Amino acid sequence: MINPDYKYSATNGIQHEEPLLFEHAHEAPESISLPGVDGPLSDALLAFARKTPANIPGLSEPETVRHFVRLSQWNHGIETGFYPLGSCTMKYNPRVNEQVVRLPGLAHIHPDQPEDTAQGALELLYETQQWLGEISGLPYVTLQPAAGAHGELVGLMMIKVYHDARGESNRRKVLVPDSAHGTNPASAALCGMQTVELKSGTDGRIDLDELKAHLDENTAALMMTNPNTAGAFESDIKEICQLVHDAGGMVYGDGANLNALVGVARPGDMGIDCLHINVHKTFSTPHGGGGPGAGPVAVNEALAPYLPVPRIVNNGDSYALVHSDENSIGPVLGSAGQTGVLLRANAYISAFGRQHLHQIAEDAVLNANYVLHRLKDRYHVPFEGLCKHECLLTDELQHSHGVKTLDIAKRLIDLGFHPMTVYFPLIVHGAMLIEPTETESRETLDAFCDAMLEIADQCEAGDTGILHEAPVKPFRRRLDETQAARNPILTWKEQ
Amino acid sequence: MRFLPHTETDRRAMLETMGLATLRDLFADVPAEFQMDAGSLELADALSEAGIVRKFTRASQKNRNASNSAYFLGGGTYHHFVPAVVDYVISRGEFLTAYTPYQPEISQGTLQALFEFQTMIARLTGMDVSNASMYEAATATAEAALMARRVTRKSRVVMAGSVNPRYRSVTANYLSRLEGEYVEVGMGQSGTNFGTDLEKVIDAIDAATACVIVQYPDFYGSVYDLAPLRAACDAAKCLMVVAFSDISAFALIESPGAMGADIAVGSGQSLGIPMGFGGPHLGLFTCKQKYLRQMPGRVCGMTSDVNGKRGFVLTLSTREQHIRREKATSNICSNQGLMCTAAATYMTLMGDAGLARVAMHSAAALQSLLSQLPAHVSAANGAHYNETVLSFTDNSARERFLAAARAQDIFAGIPLEQIDPQAASNHLLVATTEMVEASDITDFLAALEVAK
Repeated sequence: MINPDYKYSATNGIQHEEPLLFEHAHEAPESISLPGVDGPLSDALLAFARKTPANIPGLSEPETVRHFVRLSQWNHGIETGFYPLGSCTMKYNPRVNEQVVRLPGLAHIHPDQPEDTAQGALELLYETQQWLGEISGLPYVTLQPAAGAHGELVGLMMIKVYHDARGESNRRKVLVPDSAHGTNPASAALCGMQTVELKSGTDGRIDLDELKAHLDENTAALMMTNPNTAGAFESDIKEICQLVHDAGGMVYGDGANLNALVGVARPGDMGIDCLHINVHKTFSTPHGGGGPGAGPVAVNEALAPYLPVPRIVNNGDSYALVHSDENSIGPVLGSAGQTGVLLRANAYISAFGRQHLHQIAEDAVLNANYVLHRLKDRYHVPFEGLCKHECLLTDELQHSHGVKTLDIAKRLIDLGFHPMTVYFPLIVHGAMLIEPTETESRETLDAFCDAMLEIADQCEAGDTGILHEAPVKPFRRRLDETQAARNPILTWKEQ
Repeated sequence: MRFLPHTETDRRAMLETMGLATLRDLFADVPAEFQMDAGSLELADALSEAGIVRKFTRASQKNRNASNSAYFLGGGTYHHFVPAVVDYVISRGEFLTAYTPYQPEISQGTLQALFEFQTMIARLTGMDVSNASMYEAATATAEAALMARRVTRKSRVVMAGSVNPRYRSVTANYLSRLEGEYVEVGMGQSGTNFGTDLEKVIDAIDAATACVIVQYPDFYGSVYDLAPLRAACDAAKCLMVVAFSDISAFALIESPGAMGADIAVGSGQSLGIPMGFGGPHLGLFTCKQKYLRQMPGRVCGMTSDVNGKRGFVLTLSTREQHIRREKATSNICSNQGLMCTAAATYMTLMGDAGLARVAMHSAAALQSLLSQLPAHVSAANGAHYNETVLSFTDNSARERFLAAARAQDIFAGIPLEQIDPQAASNHLLVATTEMVEASDITDFLAALEVAK
């Protein structure tokens, strides 16, 4: 049992102000010892010499380390505390994964060095590819897409080419539920397709009648997220896929929420034709403050001919990259994929293995339902029933006290937690989407729920001043986003 | 399972509070026909942490790597020195395990590092503004073409044949999904005269052209004057897009901005990021201020908090997919955030002086090699930074050389046709960095003897 004094972890601590490195102005010393060849440069090259230096300030090594370590201390990370961002799957990132990808034989190899000098890398990538095919139930996989949104684009390219190859170039309509991630319609547009938004049913799920009304001979695909962004499993999945297939369309699965199903059920078995997998979500590769991620795409046999090149193949006792194939949609990245990210995913799957992989989804879903159970009487739950890996609440009960989702989110910061995802999905007002993931303990979940209940208490008691002021503890308070957008200052200019 | 904090007792207790008996009761909404028994997937057996280390170490030992070799491979990925501090900084959990900084009050570290990154990238490229990264150079080039179409409201894209073939093919792939003409010009370089045929590129511009994309230094390492192209773009009211592969060049030679680029895109991998067998690298995207609102990707801006203290936020988000959906400037969401922090750390350690030394060593190594080339190997004419094409009498001569080099742990270059399928099979793309030592060049030249 934790002493209540220590329950909420945020403190003011030692907080350092840290200027911009451009303000650390002093004569730059010899900051780094570099190897290299000295010698004359050609006159031809010197004719192009840069006339004015770039004005990159340069700090000594100790100053550089301190500058960036101080900056790091202004960040909240998974290693700092709970990070219940819905639809983001902020789980613990194992340190051993960081260690193994830094082995010189994996870090310092060139994508174009002879294949027989890179067999170890190709073997691990091939294995990752096969595993993702097995886990998704869609056996043909490209590792090339660099992020989830990139995977969406690649999947839609394949679907478009598939229809074209069947003489159905009229199929350009992509149905997207109104609960979808914004990347879905944006990817469709980038692929030269037209999106039609499907209104969700009253239970937050796909409405079969709405779906039927929009399916026709011009439908290329339905893009769906299952479980959806309200955290609910689309229980009609079999019928949904059947309807789309009967209309001649393909079903694209946004794999952002695969953490709810991994090892328990496979999108491919349900009728999904094409799925991207956010390895930075489900398979624990670090988010890094916004990337790098990777968005491998897994497809069924019908779409397999169109997979991008290069492809990683196994030729019996060796592995190779295949750079061209007449049916392929072509390359979508300058390399075969973000290897370092994909290898971390391999390490994560290796740790769980055949025996334990299902425990990821089971504990993730357990944790989300536990949070939902503890909060459901004090926060409005827009859609009843079990949730999957994340639960959706709204600020409806707090709104009458003048407290909004944003206030609740900011107050959580003072109490030591990263806020949940706010105002998404768009299908409810004041959404709060909470995804605890499988790597959080009951103790952490209870502390978070206690904090949420304390906020609900304060609302009901009319003690809302602190909620509107929050956050008060971080070294920066609410920032003026309007000013930033109106007068964009994106680079430092010396006075 | 070591990453999962619950004991069986915890799980049972939590289920009990919900009135449930088993974990699978939580999946009652998933049709039973789709549920699998635990352990039924065809995956490997679970490994201990020690088992993972052994597995990856064994795999890594099947690869030969640059850290104990003489290394001359380039073509878009370069073996520059990565200081230990860079890896330390990006290994800090607060940077490594943070999400996109949508909650600025507790993300100022990432945000200030992004602001510093944007500033330094803009300065190094000579451009007004930089975004907070793209995936890598090829997709950044494609996004530049799309942005130019939005800015000019024209759809024709002209691509120089001397742009990295992978940037070309990815851009062509993206554009092929949309209406509009895409042309590649100045192809079919003959003999040893690899470079950019700027006249042909300029001739291809017409009134319908949204942009011209060139690479500088080009794929063959050639450095050339972009002033004639700038004038032609002005005359045709189209944008000049400059791609680059090794940004270290711009500490030594004129920047894309100084050459008049409207948009400059490329790779930042050279800024403290290991080659990593193709990624994660760092896509850079910069442009003139006036085109800012058509720029794709996240950007970080300066503002102040309610107490008037300086702070940073992600801004101009009305361009982005989570707000604009199908009308967004791009579908990009995750970018290469951590790699921006790596590049910012690298540039801070280097400063102008360090960056200039990296560039001078890189260029000097190539010059040293070229000045000692035997007569039976020819090199392209003109100015080169740290990369060029060597041409052998025939394929057999090249292969004899590559074999001799390999026997001495020299990665001597990339067969040109491996990246550019149209190239003949007697050419070798050779790149140098500050990691090349004088003895590497001596050994390289010695191995060339067998190519006579």
